[in-house]
Parts: sequence; structure tokens; C-alpha cells
Amino acid sequence: MSGTTAEPAARFEVPPRPRTWPRRALIVSALAAFTVATCLPAIGGVEIDLGAIARNWRHGAANLSALLQPNWAFFPRTVQPMLETLQMAFVGAAIAAALSVPLTLWAARPTNPNILTRSAVRAVVNVFRAVPDLVWATILVAMVGVGALPGLLALVLFNVGIVVKLVSEAIDSAEHPYLEAARAGGATQHQINRTLALPQNLPLFLNQWLYALELNVRISAILGIVGAGGIGRLLDERFGFFAYGDVSVIILEILVVVLVIEAASNILRRRLA
Amino acid sequence: MTLDTRAEAGAAPASAWPIRLDGVSVTYPNGTAALRDVSLTIDAGEMVSVVGLSGSGKSTLIRAVNGLVPVTSGTVTVGPYTVSGLSGRRLRQVRGHIGMIFQGFNLATRIDVYRNTLVGRFAQAGALRGLLGVPTAHDREVALSALHTVGMLDKVWTRAGSLSGGQQQRVAIARALSQEPSIMLADEPVASLDPPTAHAVMSELERINTERYLTVLVNLHLMDLARQYTRRMIGLRAGEVVYDGPAAEATEADFEQIYGRRIRPQDRLGDRT
Ligand SMILES: Nc1ncnc2c1ncn2[C@@H]1O[C@H](COP(=O)(O)OP(=O)(O)OP(=O)(O)O)[C@@H](O)[C@H]1O
Ligand SMILES: [Mg+2]
Repeated sequence: MSGTTAEPAARFEVPPRPRTWPRRALIVSALAAFTVATCLPAIGGVEIDLGAIARNWRHGAANLSALLQPNWAFFPRTVQPMLETLQMAFVGAAIAAALSVPLTLWAARPTNPNILTRSAVRAVVNVFRAVPDLVWATILVAMVGVGALPGLLALVLFNVGIVVKLVSEAIDSAEHPYLEAARAGGATQHQINRTLALPQNLPLFLNQWLYALELNVRISAILGIVGAGGIGRLLDERFGFFAYGDVSVIILEILVVVLVIEAASNILRRRLA
Repeated sequence: MTLDTRAEAGAAPASAWPIRLDGVSVTYPNGTAALRDVSLTIDAGEMVSVVGLSGSGKSTLIRAVNGLVPVTSGTVTVGPYTVSGLSGRRLRQVRGHIGMIFQGFNLATRIDVYRNTLVGRFAQAGALRGLLGVPTAHDREVALSALHTVGMLDKVWTRAGSLSGGQQQRVAIARALSQEPSIMLADEPVASLDPPTAHAVMSELERINTERYLTVLVNLHLMDLARQYTRRMIGLRAGEVVYDGPAAEATEADFEQIYGRRIRPQDRLGDRT
């Protein structure tokens, strides 16, 4: 307000600025101290031995040249495990997609104003997500035995963690003016979520579901290494026999499948946008 | 479409409710006193405007009527209900009788006009239908007739987000009308619209007031709109009622007193076109 009648003294009555620099200084110095500490071998910091890399590179080069000669005769034996891997990836993503809908809506503030249930769902989902996929697979192999089932379960848990976290945070940070209108008209939270919030936020879900599928194809290729079925088990086995020609075929195949899935998912995403 | 058929379509005129505020004060959690000891009575079927500068408490006043903002002290009464102190199912039930439209229209933009309008029927849904989200034949009829009333029936399957501002506000009015309300609240309903559209929407509200016999409480920050469309005007300044009287006869001096400064060109919208 350029109040011409106001006294000059009152014109620049700026409210006191909140003090943020002590907090900022604290964070910066804590980060610096942490970085320095991790590099000090005396207190068990990271030791980076560049010499070892130089010493071993010849050995690596020999293996690399073996990898460059794929044994194409091995290809037919990879088809069945590869199909199992793809199946795990798709079924896992589909089950996770179904589970993610209610969990996401419970984990986001606009769709669940109740802080108790919201925090509970978030805590559980964060645990799912914090445990690395291979660790999940290892634990589940120990629990339900070797095969595709533990791999599938690991993917579901991992996917649910990712989708619920990313989508609920996207919902949290978006504006939802229609919620206020529906609330003003006497709607229940359930009615709002089912008929407004879910369709309105469906593109967010679709995006992350596709992302989860892409991740699954990549992850499930190596899940077999810990005994969770699919192409990874074959990879591990051939590696054990030093059959680098066979390993080469498997790696190329995984590469092609991952690229194809990503391309397909990109096309789908563009269509949905 | 003649005015007659429109009036017929908007069947079942609801009975209007009075609004009563008794010593109402609202202080937000951050300490802002938005309303200070406001007492006023609005009779059933009146069309009243609330005028004041930005930050004077207009939105707070209107939101206190349907309990979107809880009052700190005093009582708010609408028709047979005391709103202040209600919560949960009882509050939703009362809100079902109070329609509300907003400056930003507050529609779910990715959803079609039809489903946006049906939101107005949510408060009437029984427990099971509310859970399943299935409208009754009567709900559909009421919603479609409300769309007909505001002249938006031909856009019923259009996504709300692809409509123009004026069209979106008409859909928002239809959503409120399908509640078959006894009170209509409007929080700066034309502030985002160009002058001709603003006049069209104000005429719509005027027509609802006379044809449907609804109590209408509308926030405006433009003095000529208040003069043209409402009989009674309430002036707010810093959370206090500083004017309550006929709108048409309000003088420039009255407005200067409400605004607490001289009249400026931007306080007027311009003539009805
Ligand atoms: N949720 C909130 N939390 C804290 N303070 C608020 C909140 N909403 C409004 N206020 C404050 O309360 C006062 C009145 O706000 P209100 O929105 O009722 O004004 P208004 O007359 O509607 O203004 P405008 O014309 O800008 O919409 C303002 O000082 C505002 O900053
Ligand atoms: Mg306002």
C-alpha cells in the first residue's frame, strides 16, 4: 500500500524476519564434518584403494574378451527362464498396482486427514521401501524356499513401497480445490476419494505403475542370483561354470528386453499424458 | 430455451433458511483474528452481499456458515440447526442443505461435468450407496435438471477442465443446486471472470434467489456488483461489521468507510453488458 496519508515512519514497518541462519549453519557444518569423517581411515572411514584397480585390470580384460564372443547355441535354453522373469515382473507390478490404490490414498494427507492412520500406513510403507530388493528376496527365499514365488513377493513389496511413496507425496504437494467443494457439500472422505480423488490422480498412478514395471524387469533379471527364480538363476549358474559365452548371451538378452519394455512404457506414457 | 421451461426444470423449490450469527469470533491457529464479535441475521430468501477489502474476513465469514471454518466463540445458526459445535455425520447432514460456490470453481478438472455435478448428491446417499458410489435414478435426474437450469446440459460429458471459466462456474452452480439447498453461499464467484461473464453469473445467482427461493450470501469485492445484484449489503473491515444496510442506496462515502480508503477505479467492474 503506497499510503500517501501514512506517516513516513510507518511506511517501512517490516515485520521481524524469522531467524533461519543458525539452522542453516548447523546443517552445513554437520554435513562437512560427516564428509570429512567418512574419509578418515583412523576412525574406520572408507578406504579407497586405487592401486587394486590398476593391478586387476588385465584379468578383467581377458574376461571381457570372452564376453565379447556370445555362444548363440545357448540361446534356446534361456527362453524359458526369461519368460519366467517377465512373468514375475508383470504379475508383481499388477498385484502391487492393485494394493497401491488404497494404501496411497491412506498415506496422503488430502485423502486421509486422520493423522494416526496416515502415519501408520506411511511407517509400514517406508519399511517396505527402505529394505533393498535383494535383501527382500533373500529373506523371502529363506522363508518360502527357492523359486519364482519369493521373487514375486519381493517385487510386490518393493513396488508397493515405491508407488505408495511417490504417488502419495505427489498428491500431498498438489492442490485439490475440488476436495473443499465436496466437503462443503457434505460428502464423506470415502465418497470424495472414490469418485473424485482417484480418477483425478489416476495419471500419477499410471506413471508410477509403468515405472515399477520397468524396474521389475531389471531387478527380476538379477533376483535369481539369490535363488528367487528366473533368468538370474541361469546367469548365476553359467557364471559359476565360467561359461562366459553363455553369460554373454544372457546379458545381451536382458539388455534387449529391458530396452524394449522401456520403449513400450514410454510410448504408453506419452499416450496417457 | 425460454425462461419458462427453465423454471419448470428446476422443480421442487426448497424452503429457504435464515442465517444467524451471534457474537461470532474466529481466530486462526496462527493468531490472526479474522472475525471479531460479528452478530447478524439474514432472513430466509434474502440475497445479501458481503463487501470488504482483501483480508477483511469475507471468506472466513462465509466459511463459518457451513462450518468449513470452526468459530472460536459465538454461535452460528442455519435454519433449525446450530452449526457451531457440530461435527462428523451431523455436520455433513447440515452441509447437505447449504450449497457453496468458489472463486476458483473447485471442480475436479479431469472428470466430466456429469460426475462433478453428482457430487451435489453425495450428502443424500445412504450408507451403502455412499460406499459403492452408485447414484440413484432420482440423483441423476436432479443433477441433469440442475445442469439444464444453468444451460450446461449439452456439455454433460465434457471434461470439466476443458470448459471456459464461465462455463466451469455454471457447472459449479449446478453442483450446488443439485444439493437442493436451502442456502447458497458464494465466495467471490466472479472474481476470476471477465466482465460480461461476471454479469451472466451474477444474474444466474439472482435468478436462483427469486425462482428457487433460496437464501443467497455472496462475497464481492466490487461495489457496483453489490449495488446491482443485492438488496442488502454487509461491509466488513478488519473482521468487524462496519456497514449493514440497503445496497442500492449505499453511497461512495459508505464504501470509503468500508474500504478505509478512497474509491479507486478498480473497485468497479463496469456496466452490465
Ligand atoms: N487458514 C488460515 N490460517 C491463518 N490465517 C488465515 C487463514 N485464512 C485466512 N487467514 C487470515 O484471516 C484474515 C481474513 O481472511 P479472509 O480469507 O477471510 O479474508 P477475505 O476478506 O476473504 O480476503 P480476500 O478478498 O483476499 O479473499 C486474513 O488476515 C488472512 O490472512
Ligand atoms: Mg476471500
